Amino acid sequence: MAGPGTPASEPGKASENYRPPSARGRLIAIIAALLIITNVVTGLSAFYLAQPTVSAAALCPGSAGAAKAPAATVVTTSLGTDSSSSQFTFHIDPPFKPTAATVTVVGPWAGPEAEPFLRVLENFTRLTGTPVTYKNIRQEDLTQILPTQFASGTAPGDVIFMVSSFIKANGPAHMLKLTGNVSDAKYTPGSLDPVKVGTDNYGGVYTGKIKPGFWYRKSFFAAHNLTVPTTFQEFKDLVVKISKISGIRTPIVSGDGVGWPLSDVTEHFIATYGGAAMHRALMNKTKAWTAPDVRAIFADRLVPLLAGKCFSEPLEWNTVALTNWWGGLHALYFMGSWITGLVSNATDLGVFSLPAESGITRGIVFAGDYFFVPKYTANPTEANQLAEWLAGNEGQDYQVKQGGHIATALGVPLSDYPAVDRGVAQLMNGVQILSDLDDTIGGTFQTTFWSQLQLLWVSPNQLDSVLAAIQAKVPA
Amino acid sequence: MLLILLFVAYPVFATIGVSLFSSDGKFAGLANYGEVLGSPDTVNLNGFPKPPPFGTLIHSAIWIGIHLPLSLFLGLWLALVLRNVKGASWVKTAIFIGMVTPLIIGGILMLYIYDGSIGIVPKFFGALGIQGLAVGWMQRPTTLLFGLIFGSVWLWTGFSLIVYSAGLTTIPKDYWEAAQVDGTSTFRMFTRVTFPLLKPMTIVVITMTILWELKIFDLVIGATSPQGGVGGAADVLALQMYRYAFVEIPARRGVAAAVATFLSILTMVATVSTIRYMVKR
Repeated sequence: MAGPGTPASEPGKASENYRPPSARGRLIAIIAALLIITNVVTGLSAFYLAQPTVSAAALCPGSAGAAKAPAATVVTTSLGTDSSSSQFTFHIDPPFKPTAATVTVVGPWAGPEAEPFLRVLENFTRLTGTPVTYKNIRQEDLTQILPTQFASGTAPGDVIFMVSSFIKANGPAHMLKLTGNVSDAKYTPGSLDPVKVGTDNYGGVYTGKIKPGFWYRKSFFAAHNLTVPTTFQEFKDLVVKISKISGIRTPIVSGDGVGWPLSDVTEHFIATYGGAAMHRALMNKTKAWTAPDVRAIFADRLVPLLAGKCFSEPLEWNTVALTNWWGGLHALYFMGSWITGLVSNATDLGVFSLPAESGITRGIVFAGDYFFVPKYTANPTEANQLAEWLAGNEGQDYQVKQGGHIATALGVPLSDYPAVDRGVAQLMNGVQILSDLDDTIGGTFQTTFWSQLQLLWVSPNQLDSVLAAIQAKVPA
Repeated sequence: MLLILLFVAYPVFATIGVSLFSSDGKFAGLANYGEVLGSPDTVNLNGFPKPPPFGTLIHSAIWIGIHLPLSLFLGLWLALVLRNVKGASWVKTAIFIGMVTPLIIGGILMLYIYDGSIGIVPKFFGALGIQGLAVGWMQRPTTLLFGLIFGSVWLWTGFSLIVYSAGLTTIPKDYWEAAQVDGTSTFRMFTRVTFPLLKPMTIVVITMTILWELKIFDLVIGATSPQGGVGGAADVLALQMYRYAFVEIPARRGVAAAVATFLSILTMVATVSTIRYMVKR
């Protein structure tokens, strides 16, 4: 009758002597088994779903074997500001008691990218005596912050760098018209078009960067006897050759973040093999992403490289991808010209565009850094003063001298560019200059474009659904 | 009452009102609801079986289907195991830290945990020789949603652990003792004594977990993007609402309000049905 642990001779003390059931082994085993079964079933589901539905012969067969190459540990950048934070504030005061109000600049640059711009702002403060505070906020975040602040009649800064599509859409309602240096006569032609509403400029353009092609280390190419390709076949041969080099994970590293580096690569393929005309037609929404000729660019040029494991899976662009590429785990990296300011030895950098094909007028994307002055600024005089300075050749000259940027203002001498940037500028000879496609269209098209390209990168067999999803988000 | 009218009733009716108008301010009736329910963003089973995205509604269902039993049973199991263990409060505190960690931070942690180069999960599967899972989970539509769900189990288990731990202290020891005296097996003791007496806690855990799962947002946007990650494979209802209202240019606030209303109806159905069940019992 009595169970173990409850002596029958001491019934009155049963409660006091009670021990919670100690033999719970069976119960625990059952619950543990349930958990294991649930996990295994789910894990297996994930596992089987993870298997590629289409198997393709790998174009870059050596890459798979090098998948276990150790992560690179090379530190490529030297930072003067705190790059550990993705968002920071930096204040600049003149060496005397300022009389002007402080101008707050909101920009997308952090860490080593911000350093040259902070020096530009320091020069502005030194010349004008106007204190400046720089706040780093990513443009993806501004997309969400600004509409709310505009609705309440405020803004996070006096001069704000933002994508052109946003400036164009919100200019008349929430931004000041810019004049003076911000005029067509003082810029390279067409620079202000993306921020114009009618004839009014609601934004200015600072310097810009071009997205010229694939960057490589000259020392790596020399060590492995590699040469820059002159035809697409040579390009494919090059990546196959690279894939066989010991220690290479994949020939090309894919930068990622929210998805824009992938869109830059894609735009380069379109602008090279579909030509500037196709790029503009897609941007102007007069051509569908599902059109046969657009699909062919993907199917014939990009998808074979993705399916052939010539590109890495998307990696965070300015940490993992940059470090791995510079450390020799990958040989090629498609990135904009700002990369020259992110590596420790820019003289070791080489770059080539995808080889041209006869009969196609190629284009290269030039992405200007656009800014605006919100109507809600408390310091319109100082804000306009800074906006004009950034738009003019004086402010831009400070930036281009430090590398990585191309001036949009007329009158910046070519001799002021570092040698590597002059080389980049030469790539623009004979090609048409294009605006960044997804920045220009913006909105949910842009985020869809990015996320669908992330999908294409890991599931190239889903090309048609990817193109259909992108087309579905093209605004009317 | 005034506060409820001001801060609950008014926003609810205002949202419903907005959901009946198009972006250009014209009365649209239920068109926004039709647009939401007919959108591939909400339900997308074309070509099934296929990897995600399946649409936000299906994703929420998958989230509930996997996350709810895992976090509930894991919390219950830990509560039972840790009941009379010395130093259990430290273990419970450690587990509960996941619960008090901001979910946006949890989302960013997922990026590192599942990273193909440095993440502990891919490394673990790589060590087991399962190369199909030794990849970046956040970069693949096939693993993204499951990765976030498993990660959220870690973050949410602390809740069910604490609720069940509190529930176990309310059960008189005499019940177990009587069962033990009658020679009841441990399993029957659990199914006939412990688990039935924990029913109020189970209902609380189920209700709160379903509500949490339906409105999940910060974890997903922290780990992915406003689009719900690669191909929208981890898109959820709250993210869909946010995107329509704050990412799209021009914003589609009417459609966003329709998603918000739809989400509120789903959460009300879950809450009311469980509370009614609880009261009936």
